[in-house]
Amino acid sequence: MTAAELAGRAVARAAPNGLALVTHERSLMLRFAAGRPTQATAIDDFTLDIAVPLEGHVGRASTNGVDDAAIADCAERARLAAEAAAVTGGGGFPGFAPHPGGPASQREPFEAATAELDPAAGAAALEAAFSVAAHHGVEAHGIWTVAEQEQAWALAGEEAQAERRTDAFMKVICIAPNGRSGYASSSSVAAADLDASALAERAALKATAGGEPAELPPGDYPVVFEADAVGWLCDLLAGCAFNGLAHAEGRGALDGKLGETVAAPAISLADSPGHPLTLPRSFDAEGTPKAPIPLIQDGVARGVAHDIRSAALAGDGARTTGHALAPGGDASGPHPTNLVLAGGGAADEAELCAPVERGVYVTRLWYANVVRPKETLITAVTRDGTFLIEDGRITRPLRDLRVTDSVLRILSGASALSGEQKLASDGEFYGRRFAFGVVCPAIRADAVRFTGASG
Amino acid sequence: MRDLLTELMDSARARAGYADARFVRSRVERLSTRNGRLDQLDSRESEGIGIRVRVRGAWGFAAVRGTDRAAAEAALARALAIAEAQPAVPDAAPLAPEPPARGEWSSGFERDPFEVPLEEKLSVLLAADAGLRTEPGVTLTRARFAAFGTDTLFANTEGALCEQHVTECGGGIGATAVKGDESQIRSFPASHGGHVAQAGYEHFLGLELPGHAPRVAAEAVALLSAPACPHGRTTLLLAGEQLGLQVHESVGHAVELDRVLGREASYAGTSFVAAGGIGSLRFGSERVNVTADATSATGLGSFRWDDEGVEGRPVPIIREGVLTGFLSSRETASEIGLDRSGGCMRADGFTRQPIVRMTNVNLEAGDAGSLDDLIASTDDGLLIETNRSWSIDNRRLHFQFEGEAAWEIRGGERGRLLRNPSYAGVTPEFWGSCDAVCSPSEWRLISLLDCGKGEPGQVMRVSHGSAPARFRDVEVGLA
Repeated sequence: MTAAELAGRAVARAAPNGLALVTHERSLMLRFAAGRPTQATAIDDFTLDIAVPLEGHVGRASTNGVDDAAIADCAERARLAAEAAAVTGGGGFPGFAPHPGGPASQREPFEAATAELDPAAGAAALEAAFSVAAHHGVEAHGIWTVAEQEQAWALAGEEAQAERRTDAFMKVICIAPNGRSGYASSSSVAAADLDASALAERAALKATAGGEPAELPPGDYPVVFEADAVGWLCDLLAGCAFNGLAHAEGRGALDGKLGETVAAPAISLADSPGHPLTLPRSFDAEGTPKAPIPLIQDGVARGVAHDIRSAALAGDGARTTGHALAPGGDASGPHPTNLVLAGGGAADEAELCAPVERGVYVTRLWYANVVRPKETLITAVTRDGTFLIEDGRITRPLRDLRVTDSVLRILSGASALSGEQKLASDGEFYGRRFAFGVVCPAIRADAVRFTGASG
Repeated sequence: MRDLLTELMDSARARAGYADARFVRSRVERLSTRNGRLDQLDSRESEGIGIRVRVRGAWGFAAVRGTDRAAAEAALARALAIAEAQPAVPDAAPLAPEPPARGEWSSGFERDPFEVPLEEKLSVLLAADAGLRTEPGVTLTRARFAAFGTDTLFANTEGALCEQHVTECGGGIGATAVKGDESQIRSFPASHGGHVAQAGYEHFLGLELPGHAPRVAAEAVALLSAPACPHGRTTLLLAGEQLGLQVHESVGHAVELDRVLGREASYAGTSFVAAGGIGSLRFGSERVNVTADATSATGLGSFRWDDEGVEGRPVPIIREGVLTGFLSSRETASEIGLDRSGGCMRADGFTRQPIVRMTNVNLEAGDAGSLDDLIASTDDGLLIETNRSWSIDNRRLHFQFEGEAAWEIRGGERGRLLRNPSYAGVTPEFWGSCDAVCSPSEWRLISLLDCGKGEPGQVMRVSHGSAPARFRDVEVGLA
């Protein structure tokens, strides 16, 4: 049974205006720690969401059952929810609209070999990482994971639309006997793009970089962020600034600032679901076709992401931009999941370091959390490869630090970006798997606020 | 289903050193209002089987939806194939021994939250939302209800066959006030989803959300013009959710034995605590006593058996400031020579394998009287209430938290309201500075609904009990 077939069966129960969204996940994840496998998880599961709009409200229910009884029960729960909601009045949801088709992606979202979910291929990747780590005298920790996701949506009277996608991710954290660690990761549509040996080599070299770790007192320092750290910053910014629901409610960081300069001229950030480096998606959870939207262009705030609900609330001609996370709108609002930060002119991270007299080199951020969203104020710690930059080059390891700063302030101080971009993903898969990442370069920021030590 | 799981385990016994299977049926219902309108009415159900096997020391786990026999048998074959494909772990420790779990257990409730008409739940939420909108200046109001029902049937190759039924229910309210670039929020009884307990609808009603709404809204607006929390070092009083979260992040996660042994280094991180620290590591002052108790009444970390069939019980974690135990599994306990697992394996539904998790990690009550007594005995300090943001490093050592609101304490009295309060510290130094914990009459459980861990990610609901506590010489006002 395909996702499209199930969506077609389900939507018949949600007539006349309901929407059925089916997500079928088949995935495999192999975890490893200290050079040995620790856990392996294979999942085969469906999620059927039925959303029924009624008098401006949406009742929603889900099940992983695929038989007629389960579908009927799910539709009935959605209908009862919609009726209960309608009694309260005041709803503003305008209803689902058919949007068949969508723009062509610059990359196929599906790769057949990856969809085989071959445990032997994963085991070979683990063996390769273990071998490199052993050669460097460090421990290898991480995951290798692949998945196929088939997603389909249907409206009553319309032909179901479906998309098959694959994703693959591997990360390696190497830990040296002295406790220093290094990180490298790769994410793609195709498992063949993951080079376990190269990742382990990169992580091992960071873990074993020589010299006693230096310490920096709290204060402002110039920073070179690798792409993985930039990806974290951009995704945090998306939650604070590009959430159309928060924006419509006056809580968003770009409230009253569209058209104003909010970042350095070098910063151009868009949601580009068809970018060749991203994990392509052709429609959102409401069936709206995805299309590129500018968010910050040459440092100027240009737009926010909407789902049907947030666009209706925003009014003034706003339309959904195809960023719904759930039919009828997720409680937290819409979110751009294909962010692309345009690259700059620097050849690589070394060139970004060159003008820095004394600063910090950050491989990745960790445990980031938004402190005050309207200010885009976040806090996070550096992890797995933090180094001191002196006189234009990395000189020695640095004890990890805590960043507490505004993302827009950091991006306002972005003085250079690398030309090369990377799909930065942390490989987090909570709930029903939805792989995403941020395509971004490394950047140099002139002043970043550190509030303490870490680690 | 009992027959199916038993037969699966009979099949697994020939090919795996150990195997277990869990059938899980989950129900979730969430309702929320937003500015007086119904915003979310969501009903979710799922069921399926997760099978875990251990072959030559390597684990394999496969999950499949539904109850179909052929699909379950295929999942077992898949789990075995995955385990067999991986590099062998010839020196893997044996699992700590455990008598087979047999029987049935249900959590208690007076009124099944799933049987309460939607209209009745909505009327409470709308009344609370209306109370939040009585305050001019509030721009966003939210009122939430949540109910969770989980039925689990567990079997393993050692003869375990046990069944559990858990019902959880609760909710909360929040008001956001915005003025220019300033945005402030107040929540009750806690942020991040409110307070959920292992209980029925009576718990939700007992929160009395409509009655608290006007105060919550007034505080959100007052925060807009309150002075900012100054930077410096001072005495810090924590209570309720913020203290529970402090226990969660800096104690609970730090004593998870899988982290201590490096198993979570790729994601959640490791720990500053060493496996050999039992009996010698000074974690805090003599006032600090912590217990991981899977039997706490109404706690979200309570159960009869964990998800590998180990009976839940209280496990002393810290006694008079010294480390006495870990949160552990059969595998990790065995690796450090413990006689028995601490019974802390929990899984997020049937699609995830069990990992070491918190039960109810509780800070035991002290003898400092009530919160008013604690304030009265504090000359100069800060009381921070309700969490807004949290972050801690991957060794659970350096942390930084922000609260929704704070009050100055001057001369033993609660003084001015302060906005944007934050504090930071180093775990053993912070707990070492604890010089008072309030008495048992002040001890309460709080809930955390979104504890993330594991790969693929797992979300767990946990509770923490505590009474208000005081910490000396803490850095505040960093954010």
